[in-house]
Amino acid sequence: MEYFLTIIVMIAIFIILAASYNLVIGYGGLATVAHPIFYALGAYTSALLAIHQGWHPIICVLAGVLVAGVASILLALSALRVSGDYLLISSLGFQLGLLQVIRNFEFTGGAGGLSGIPSTIIGAARTPMFLVICGGLAILTVMFIAWIVRGPYGRAITAMRDEELAFSTLGRNAMSMKVAIFALGCGIAGMAGGLYAYYFQYVSPDQFDILQTVAILTMVVVGGMGTTIGPVIGAVILIAVPQAITFLNLPPNVMAPLQGIIFTTLVLVVMFLRPTGLVGGRSLTSSH
Amino acid sequence: MLTDPALLLQVLWTGTVTASSYVLLTVGFSLTQKVTGLWNFAQAGFMGIAFYAMYFALNHLGLPLLLAFPFACACTIIAALVTEAWGLNVLRARHSSHLTFFIFTLIVAEFIIYWLTLLFGTEPQTLFKSIMSPVHIVWEIAITDWDLVAIGMTAVFVAALAGFLRWTKDGQFLVAVADNAKLAELYGISARRAYYVTAVIAALFITGAMYLVGTRGGITPNKPLELILNAVIATLLGGMGRVFMGALASVVLALIQSYSVLIMSSRWQNLLLYGFLFVAIVIFPRGIHFPKWRKRPVVPAAVPPGG
Repeated sequence: MEYFLTIIVMIAIFIILAASYNLVIGYGGLATVAHPIFYALGAYTSALLAIHQGWHPIICVLAGVLVAGVASILLALSALRVSGDYLLISSLGFQLGLLQVIRNFEFTGGAGGLSGIPSTIIGAARTPMFLVICGGLAILTVMFIAWIVRGPYGRAITAMRDEELAFSTLGRNAMSMKVAIFALGCGIAGMAGGLYAYYFQYVSPDQFDILQTVAILTMVVVGGMGTTIGPVIGAVILIAVPQAITFLNLPPNVMAPLQGIIFTTLVLVVMFLRPTGLVGGRSLTSSH
Repeated sequence: MLTDPALLLQVLWTGTVTASSYVLLTVGFSLTQKVTGLWNFAQAGFMGIAFYAMYFALNHLGLPLLLAFPFACACTIIAALVTEAWGLNVLRARHSSHLTFFIFTLIVAEFIIYWLTLLFGTEPQTLFKSIMSPVHIVWEIAITDWDLVAIGMTAVFVAALAGFLRWTKDGQFLVAVADNAKLAELYGISARRAYYVTAVIAALFITGAMYLVGTRGGITPNKPLELILNAVIATLLGGMGRVFMGALASVVLALIQSYSVLIMSSRWQNLLLYGFLFVAIVIFPRGIHFPKWRKRPVVPAAVPPGG
């Protein structure tokens, strides 16, 4: 039972991540792949403050949101000058570089990771309580993003994404809008990181590497980019389906790659059979 | 220590030799980028196939290197052609966005890496049981037999490619497709054939590089993801479409990394690399271009008055 609940907590955290990434890439059209590093910054900030300062979990998670948001602004101001492939690769460089910094500093626990994050909720109610918190925040995140994109600001975001030149000629500042969307999406990813750190009480750089980038990206793509419900469906399927083989009691050295194979096969099948995602969102395959 | 010429020369030599595998990987990656216009991250998966096919042939089938190397080449070429025919061609036909190609190539790389992890585990493997190589001291510099093989092999591969691009019809077609695929097709050049030829060349370069990497140190299925980033950075610094400048950039990067050990801990070397990647894109998105040297125009001699 505990295992099932943990999977659902993971799904909730990944819904937050995928929904926030969808805001950046699906609605904002900003093709960055550095989302996991903001997830990592949120996780590490919350964990370090909890361990060394002993602050209240809400303050620690909010600090994680702030650090992720500020870091995203720093990346946005430099990297959003370029677009397309350049933006993809510069964001990848930013992510891997920052991970290298985390991996090399002692106060972040180095490559071994950071353990001993205090447990905020103790006892049998711990996992159900986390499930309620993470699930509630996942629902709020999805509703909040839906509210933004359906309002006047959302229409402006879509206009900027689809016709940036026309948008600018109308006197709107595309750059400031890009930075705002980016900071908001990355700040939410920081919140997901804080939740992750508090639930699992352990964070390590390997949890936020390039494979994580692919995982979050594919959740958005498989579900349906630029749709409200697509990333939710993507997160549920891509976390839940590989877990199906857990019950085969295979050794870990077989289980982990097999789950990876199932995951990547699923993505390849959806990419070719449903190029607009399971929900049928913004045409991913269109070059425009 | 920093002023010891023998040490500086040794680092120069070691850095240059280390660059040999990077050069081969960069040329394969950069040529693919030039001709197809794609950042083909699936090459990380092909690197894994090249290494483990060679490892399997040498250590499990007991084949000699002369057979194991062509076997690895064949496996890598098949993987590259299958990806090209049933993956990239389909996405091109759908006019897919750069993001789709990025996801597809990365997922293909991961798919292959997971299979290799399942089949061969995560323990580092080398192609031969021993990676020791006889050492010769020349002007106080330690030079191993492996160094000479690496330098020679890289020189042969790069020279062969330069010759192929310059003197063969297929090579000139690659350049034409890289310049303008649609225009090339109007002249009867098949862009698809050019993409297949590029895939084969890249697969050969990858196999060559993985032979060098696998005879010098241990490889795990995840290692190619690190290696491909080096090729990406060198391609960017060299300037997109400038294959041989990319190769030169990979030598410069290897030398910077080697010399950095003299002033900083080796664990920060990778950070240096990612820093270069980020700076290269933000400051030099089109690569580093040096001003072209031009001959000064010949000024005609002044005509004497009345002459």
